[in-house]
Amino acid sequence: MPAGLSDKCPCACRRHYDEVIRVKDTYNIMFCGVGGQGLMLLSAILGKAAVDSGMEVMTGEQHGLSQRSGSIYVHFRVGKPLSPLIPYGRADLIIAMEPNEALRYIEYLKDGGVVIMSSRVMPPPGETGAVAGDKERKTKYVKVDEIVQKIKTVTNKVVLLDSLQLAVKAGNPRAENSVLVGAACACPDFPIPGEAVRKAVLALVPKKTVEANSKAFDLGKESGGSCLGT
Amino acid sequence: MTVDDIMRTDKGPALMLANEAIVRGALESDVKVVSCYPGSPTAEVLDAFSEVLQHFGDYKMHIAANEKVALETIAGASMAGLRSFSSMKSVGMNVASDAMFSIAYTGLKAGCLCLVADDPHAHSSQTEQDGRWYGEPAYVPVIEPSTAQEAYDMTKWAFEVSEKYKTLVMMRTTTRVNHQRGMVKLGELRRTPFKKNKWADVRAPYFTVGATARALKAKLLKKIEGLKVEFEESNFNWVDEAEGKIGIIADGVSYLHSREAMQNLGVKLPLLKIGTIYPLPEKKIAAFLKRLDTVIIVEELTPYLELHVTAIAKDANPKVRIVGKRSGDFSEMLEYNVPIVETVIAKILKKPLSLDYDAVLKRAEGLKSILPERNPIFCAGCPHRGTLWAFRQALSRLRIRDKIVYNNDIGCYSMAYLSPNNFSDSMLSMGSSVGLSAGMELALEDKVIATVGDSTLYHAALPGIVNLIHHNSNVTLFVLDNAVTAMTGQQYNPNSPLNAGELPAKKIDMEKMFEALGADKVTVIDPYHTRDCVKPIMDAIQTKGFSVIISRRECALYGDRLRKERNEPIVPSVNDKSACRSIYNCVREFYCPAITVDELDHKMLIQTDLCDGCLECRQVCPTSAPAHVDGTTTR
Repeated sequence: MPAGLSDKCPCACRRHYDEVIRVKDTYNIMFCGVGGQGLMLLSAILGKAAVDSGMEVMTGEQHGLSQRSGSIYVHFRVGKPLSPLIPYGRADLIIAMEPNEALRYIEYLKDGGVVIMSSRVMPPPGETGAVAGDKERKTKYVKVDEIVQKIKTVTNKVVLLDSLQLAVKAGNPRAENSVLVGAACACPDFPIPGEAVRKAVLALVPKKTVEANSKAFDLGKESGGSCLGT
Repeated sequence: MTVDDIMRTDKGPALMLANEAIVRGALESDVKVVSCYPGSPTAEVLDAFSEVLQHFGDYKMHIAANEKVALETIAGASMAGLRSFSSMKSVGMNVASDAMFSIAYTGLKAGCLCLVADDPHAHSSQTEQDGRWYGEPAYVPVIEPSTAQEAYDMTKWAFEVSEKYKTLVMMRTTTRVNHQRGMVKLGELRRTPFKKNKWADVRAPYFTVGATARALKAKLLKKIEGLKVEFEESNFNWVDEAEGKIGIIADGVSYLHSREAMQNLGVKLPLLKIGTIYPLPEKKIAAFLKRLDTVIIVEELTPYLELHVTAIAKDANPKVRIVGKRSGDFSEMLEYNVPIVETVIAKILKKPLSLDYDAVLKRAEGLKSILPERNPIFCAGCPHRGTLWAFRQALSRLRIRDKIVYNNDIGCYSMAYLSPNNFSDSMLSMGSSVGLSAGMELALEDKVIATVGDSTLYHAALPGIVNLIHHNSNVTLFVLDNAVTAMTGQQYNPNSPLNAGELPAKKIDMEKMFEALGADKVTVIDPYHTRDCVKPIMDAIQTKGFSVIISRRECALYGDRLRKERNEPIVPSVNDKSACRSIYNCVREFYCPAITVDELDHKMLIQTDLCDGCLECRQVCPTSAPAHVDGTTTR
């Protein structure tokens, strides 16, 4: 067992952890969202938490064109990763900051994997153009329920969070990231100790927002736990 | 990006992006001069060097005007006895290559490394290009890492090789290596103070033409013989041992894909990993081929390894079956992943795949039928959105929309090609819009229009502009001056009063330059005053000769950064629904990511947390319905 895992972890994932390591070397997370949502911070938080827990990490990140509002992703692999890209059908977890984007990368999810997603749809301008351009007003935006319904043909473990509202409740609308990683820690087979994740969150967010992010993390974990029954 | 692990001085493990690991490796090698032009997937190298420049204060750095200048800068520093480094993307090396071929002949003095990153899949490039081929025709050694750790190790090794053989070393990567984060075992960081040399102490001839060139070529070939021996013994080429007559040869990220594919299939084949691309370890390859009856070559893009392996096999093992691109098993298209590699290995071994990837993809495709596309788009607040809108208005009013040719160039504004503008007749390479315009102006009856950004202007457009003016060409040039090299992360360029490390630099006076060159008309517009831009654009287009429209407003992301530094809030806009008549100028042909339509009343609705408060939507609205949420609207 990698070092650092002997810490007592209050999060529900802890009781399943030993079993996970036995059956599987690498845990694969697909982060996705819309450019500007802070996906890289999310990846950095889990990266730090994993490394601080003595685990190995390899990622395949999408940098480059700096424009916001495009579709973006990070392949995040923890355990004994051999390569940077998750093969199709092998992600244990998708963390989506936007529902369309969860579905856009659905080929990466294994059957029965977990999808944690923000419920806030951010319509791409092309879709808005189509909605506005339909004089009969029959063209509608894709709704989050339709997306969830599609995803449920691959897995029934869908955690739909109003992460923005939870972040606001925690005291900072920009703490959505922390809500989502909090929820990830409630996954039964999530390999990184929850306390290490919380520490990484607090170490990497702006100092002024530490309290709100800590609360956002707890709210996310709570909501994730009740959805997944952990 | 965090540069803490680059700055720490102790040794130990760190989780780093390969691009950051390369910077750390160069700093551990006591690099003294750095010069780069930003290009994805290498931009983070430049950014990291720039961010820690003042912290260390013991190396000099330029964000260069272009890659050729950058390569010449580091070659000059090397000739003058200082270790130097540059990074550039694949197509950047095309620009720099003219100098590189000569640098190989003259040789260098201090360690000199150039990182060149290819982009299989053309994620953020105009072509898929295989830079491995630059080594052999130029006689420049090329090495290629697979992981962040190896990128770090190879960087340090490259400085030694460069100094030993007095040659430029090229390190070739691909997007999936540059943007891979992994564990890196750092060494101690021991820097020395920066000190200039005296030419008399380091002097050597760096001159090549005619008879001198022929003499240098003979020396160069000897140098390559030495490098062949060196690379043959290098630890960066190795075999992952296993039994059997079927083996794999791979380089770069393909090596990692191959390992995972074998793990998935539950097989172990001998795997020769190639780290020295030129010269190749021919003896190692020959020995590997001798033990096999089938070899699978896993490499992205062109069959570089495959062709060399085929040539080596002619003597080493002519009967060996070579599975690669020429056998039709792998494609020269796009980038690889584990499923692609696993599929070929499974086919050769006649084993079932670990997962029916095609079925997974097919199911996903069906599920995704409801998904709207999310194409790259101008950011909320982007000034280009206003410029392009005003440009289209000008064309409509002049009734010449179908009587122009629009040559686009490389930058965020390339996206004029996508919806909603769908508006570009050409886009080739940095500065090409002006070169193409010269030919089109000779050959077409139509009005010829070219567009460059400020960074592209100084990178490669200037000779083309001089050419247009000199030949009295009737061309209108848009310069989209957004203050920085926006697309790669808002780096400074000759249009900035600052450069690497936020240190002061001289900003080139753009208007004065165009006037001095003899432009027939120079007009400056502000795209945030979108409506007011239409008339000046019409005038410039109607001017005979070479007219320039400088559309000036800083990149929205850069502007946000400046506002944050000044503690100025971003005041978003809201749509006054009582004034809104659902005309949708703000939606059609505008595509702002902050703008949606309220399905209840079908009026435009601004997502205030995404809005940059630029008011361009107000400018294009016939009823001026959108306004700042706090009532501070001024235009």
